[in-house]
Amino acid sequence: MTNTSSPEGEIALIELLKKGDQAAYKHAVRLYTPGMLAVARFYHGNANAEDVVQDCWVTVIDAINKFEGRAGLKTWLHRIVANRAKNRLRTTNREVSTDFSETLDPELDSRYGSSGRWLKPPTLKTDESADQLLENDALKECLNQHLSRLPEAQRSALVLYETHHHKSDDICNILDISHSNLRVLIHRARQKIFLMVEHFQETGEC
Amino acid sequence: MLSCRGLAHIASDYIDDELGTVNKLSVRMHLLMCPHCRTFMGNLRASAALLEKHSAQTLSADYLQRIDREIERALSNDNSRG
Ligand SMILES: [Zn+2]
Repeated sequence: MTNTSSPEGEIALIELLKKGDQAAYKHAVRLYTPGMLAVARFYHGNANAEDVVQDCWVTVIDAINKFEGRAGLKTWLHRIVANRAKNRLRTTNREVSTDFSETLDPELDSRYGSSGRWLKPPTLKTDESADQLLENDALKECLNQHLSRLPEAQRSALVLYETHHHKSDDICNILDISHSNLRVLIHRARQKIFLMVEHFQETGEC
Repeated sequence: MLSCRGLAHIASDYIDDELGTVNKLSVRMHLLMCPHCRTFMGNLRASAALLEKHSAQTLSADYLQRIDREIERALSNDNSRG
């Protein structure tokens, strides 16, 4: 199938989508749905996110003809989801709640003394690569648990930033949050993961 | 002087190259002198890499096929409209 990692591949895919090519749609659905779900979850949580994204794909069939390629297909799709999700939010009156007040995780903060030096220094060994670490099923399960416990907004922004390699500006635009809020959110999530993996290495428990 | 806690506040910004020159230099100076913070920075980088590799949600084949069917239906409606 088309190699969409190159700009030429993406242009070819867009042309096929405009022609209504079913195989191209199948390919695009598998490629872009994870990121689109992350956007929808930011606004709706797990419950309605799948419906929102499914509806969006159907609207894409008509909208794609007006797509001019200025933003890149991924960003364009994510904006469609964000708009739809926001509209739906207006009708159901659900507020997006996010807490961005603190940069440091309280648990990490407590590991520094009043002088600002480490009281309990980090012990995590990182001689294993992320791939090697993830071969440990128990650790993977633990990571799953922690990620699922993160507030939906944090998780979505994180998925978009770390996994889907969105530029910060795009994410802020799509999720309607400020750059500084996004930074706090990413930082808080990384600290959580650090604390979790460290605890796991120390105790063998999640 | 940047403290260890101060460094922790801006560690992700350092990793993602979001710091201005002055802050970037003070982080580098601190890392040169402080092995604990070197470990911490390495740990935080590893955490970021872990998040990147790990996608907590795998898509169900069912869901994807549901979307396929919706698209198929919509496409054939479009065609019949001409
Ligand atoms: Zn230090």
